[in-house]
Amino acid sequence: MRRAIQRAVSEWIEGVRIALSSLAGNHLRSFLTTLGIVIGVMTVISIVAIIQGLNQSFAAQIGNLGTHTLYVDKWKWLNTGGEWWTMRNRKNLGRPELEAIEREAGEAIAVAPMAGRAATVAAGDEELTGIRCTGTNERYLQTGGGTVAAGRFLGPSDVELSRSVVVLGATVADRLFPKVPWEQVIGKRVRVHGDPYTVIGVLARRGRMLGMDLDINVTIPFTTFLRDMGGKRSITIAVTSSPGRLAQLEDELVGIMRRVRRVPPEKPDDFSINRQDQFLKLYNQLTGALYGVAIGVGLITLIVGGIGIMNIMLVSVTERTREIGVRRALGARKRTILLQFLIESSVVAAMGGAVGTGLGLGVAVLVALLSPLAAAVTGSAVALGLGFSATVGLLFGIWPAWRAANLDPVEALRYE
Amino acid sequence: MSEPLISIDRLARHYVVGGETVRALDGVSFDIHAGEWVAIVGQSGSGKSTLMNLLGCLDTATAGTYRLNGADVESLSDDQLADLRNKEIGFVFQTFQLLPRASALANVELPLIYRGISRKERRAASEQALRAVGLANRMHHRPNELSGGQRQRVAIARALVGEPSLLLADEPTGNLDSQTGEEIVRLFGELNQRGHTIVLVTHEPKLAARCPRAIKLMDGRVLGDGPGAEVAALQAPRAVGT
Repeated sequence: MRRAIQRAVSEWIEGVRIALSSLAGNHLRSFLTTLGIVIGVMTVISIVAIIQGLNQSFAAQIGNLGTHTLYVDKWKWLNTGGEWWTMRNRKNLGRPELEAIEREAGEAIAVAPMAGRAATVAAGDEELTGIRCTGTNERYLQTGGGTVAAGRFLGPSDVELSRSVVVLGATVADRLFPKVPWEQVIGKRVRVHGDPYTVIGVLARRGRMLGMDLDINVTIPFTTFLRDMGGKRSITIAVTSSPGRLAQLEDELVGIMRRVRRVPPEKPDDFSINRQDQFLKLYNQLTGALYGVAIGVGLITLIVGGIGIMNIMLVSVTERTREIGVRRALGARKRTILLQFLIESSVVAAMGGAVGTGLGLGVAVLVALLSPLAAAVTGSAVALGLGFSATVGLLFGIWPAWRAANLDPVEALRYE
Repeated sequence: MSEPLISIDRLARHYVVGGETVRALDGVSFDIHAGEWVAIVGQSGSGKSTLMNLLGCLDTATAGTYRLNGADVESLSDDQLADLRNKEIGFVFQTFQLLPRASALANVELPLIYRGISRKERRAASEQALRAVGLANRMHHRPNELSGGQRQRVAIARALVGEPSLLLADEPTGNLDSQTGEEIVRLFGELNQRGHTIVLVTHEPKLAARCPRAIKLMDGRVLGDGPGAEVAALQAPRAVGT
């Protein structure tokens, strides 16, 4: 028994030794053989790293939207059907709907209006255009609007008294007041859409989603918005439920909205109730497709690489026919020879996989640096790359190794 | 008399080539005892290579029986044959058959790897075997850094290292000049003196004549079996009645 174990261990060590010396003996050939695997693994690793980076930033963003929040809107988000004209002709949402929901929605734990438009924000000589300006109330943060990093958010009295106060998004604060700590931005005067405002707070940075900066915004009281920016636009009403009561809240909201907008029973809803799942669904569709393509491309490349390895292993078996004969004559069993060649092909492929993984991660980091896309380097991706390539080496090594093991020793020794 | 080391009885090996049966070996019988030095001699096509492959357990017979050191070779599986070769037979080939990328020492260690000997013991046994063939200071050289005679000595060390019961040499001097060949033959003589059983396959009557015993083959049959000098001189076919 001890002998058998010792023998197995020796044979493994010998197999690895032979594999390495064979690799070392054929630098160029080894390099070319593994190139296919290198490219395959590199492709998969870099794409997976980029997708995982996207996932991480997207998951963080989607969290900001509020998992338990419904968004009552004139428009259906991410509408891909042909209902644009129908929705265009819907009556705008405004104060009556907001007040009805605030009054009647028993399932709601927070209700916040969201009136929005693009505005110019300026301070001193700095002027930023196209900033998203949201008019809302003190409940906004509770519905998933973010968190305050400095100063305070809007209070009930700001809304009640239509105060000219503003909460800045992180990017806006940094651009208007470069190198000024956020605490010292509080109390500064800025102009929003030409009107003077006082900064009362800065929101924490939310980062980027699909390459968009989510911190280019300013928030002002709802009533102030209606006064300064006009009240003709349709608003969105964010309504948050207690955990697990989202469906009940939706039923309730549909009833309230139909009643307040006087929708006859036979007519469809003239409003939409949106939720963050819709983004998630769309996002998952997009990245799912991307994943599929990446894995497809990677697999094809790995198969091509595997065929390369098989080809070179067949050459190697032929070249070393006499060596195989000698080993068989000296007492190597068939499975010893099989093992030897399987180790060799796996080592070749795993080395290609290691190089490919390194290059792939490098590409991902480079992409993250040079573009708005994020990249996440995870251990699972590395393990996947190495495991996959070694498996390819193993699978495509089986046939050459089997041929080597089943050579007739007499023929093999005589082979010229 | 003790049981012979090798006992073959009406051993035959037929090949089918292009629909025709070739009787490469056609009923050969003889015994070899431990400690003997026997030449198997014959011209090319006489069946001596086929017989060597059978004796070396690299091939199995079509008919007849072969007992090696008490084992019925015909009944063994492929794995068992590999183990038997590892334990009982030391091969010496005409073309040396050393692994080109391995040092002399690593080449000699090879049979012991397949036997499951620890690295330390392997090293010690291999160094001893190389010293025994006079290569104490060439252990870390690769085959291409050695002369032909030195390579054959490495091969002999490799054959000896596992302490097999039989040394099986196939034209061991065929690729050497006459002087180096002479050294190798003398080495075989010394090994035989020390008790090794040697079977030497050759086509050279001169070499066979120097062995204490020779078996001459012709057309797959034994033409003569006896003292080397006599058998080597036999002329076919009138020497033996049909």
